[in-house]
Amino acid sequence: MRYGLLVQGAPYSSQASHSALRFARALIARGHRLESVFFYHDGVYNAARLAAPPQDEPHLIDAWNGLNAEHGTQLQVCIAAALRRGLLDELESARHGKRGHAVESPFELTGLGQLIDLGHEVDRLVTFAP
Amino acid sequence: MILHILNRSPGTSLVYRDTLSAMGPEDRLLLTEDGVLGALTSQVRHFQAVQGRLFALREDLVARGLIGRCDETVQVVDVDGFVTLTEEADKTVSWF
Amino acid sequence: MSSPSDANGDLLIILRHAPHGSSWLREGLDAALVAAAFGKSVSLLFQGDGIMALIPGQGAGALGQKGTAATLDMLAMYDIESLYVDASALDRFGMTPDDLQLPALPVDDATISRLIAVHRLILTF
Repeated sequence: MRYGLLVQGAPYSSQASHSALRFARALIARGHRLESVFFYHDGVYNAARLAAPPQDEPHLIDAWNGLNAEHGTQLQVCIAAALRRGLLDELESARHGKRGHAVESPFELTGLGQLIDLGHEVDRLVTFAP
Repeated sequence: MILHILNRSPGTSLVYRDTLSAMGPEDRLLLTEDGVLGALTSQVRHFQAVQGRLFALREDLVARGLIGRCDETVQVVDVDGFVTLTEEADKTVSWF
Repeated sequence: MSSPSDANGDLLIILRHAPHGSSWLREGLDAALVAAAFGKSVSLLFQGDGIMALIPGQGAGALGQKGTAATLDMLAMYDIESLYVDASALDRFGMTPDDLQLPALPVDDATISRLIAVHRLILTF
């Protein structure tokens, strides 16, 4: 089956990201395909590239990156929710006259329409909220 | 069959009531995260209406030291079982 | 406004949070508008505290932020006309459909579970 996940919780604040990653790995291990993870609401903080958790804690950003590298899972971040919260990629940073950027590939700032498309393309969309 | 996923404890949030009232007669309910507190013998009465269709996520019970306190009427599944539940359901609805 | 029996839609968005206290309601409504703009048939269910979205006379927030009342006025423009409101929540707050700024159809528990069954995708906010 083809799956999509919607993550709405910020990393290290709620269990949502941990639960979503655990579920992602399990569904892939069972032979399903995880097309995309869409980050919305406070879930957009999962894309913060400068996250530096202590070494004895799971590194969630690296874990998401790993899903992309190993399984081709897209990491889509709602651009409207991200910009409001200061999560800009290089392009948006330049466009808004800022220095530095918080989001980088494979995370991708994209419109909410991608979530709607994802929800209708995949066999199952599962939401992980705070 | 629809799989409903609830991550709130009945002790802190009334969302479980809206979840139960939104469930059809064949639907299943999976308790995850803090939702697993609802699977304890002292709490499970809140979910009487869905007895036999009530599941709790093993990993979240174990992490909280609650696996031994989970009521015997609750079906405990691990994360693979969670995936299976989503396979068997037409769709999922998350309540939080 | 359609009755639940013909609401065989693409997307049901369940709005469970009141205006101003969090961004859930606004972000849920944004998802509804985008889905409608993408040609999906969208239904909204205002449930629990979410029914507060429908109360008339809402004002601006602490820093003058707009709130969601204006967005509700745009629903019809986007052809989102299937609006449902949780009857038990209305009752709990001592309100009637006449208290609401939009014509939302009060629905009981059985109808809510039917709405969930007949829509392809459910998103809760």
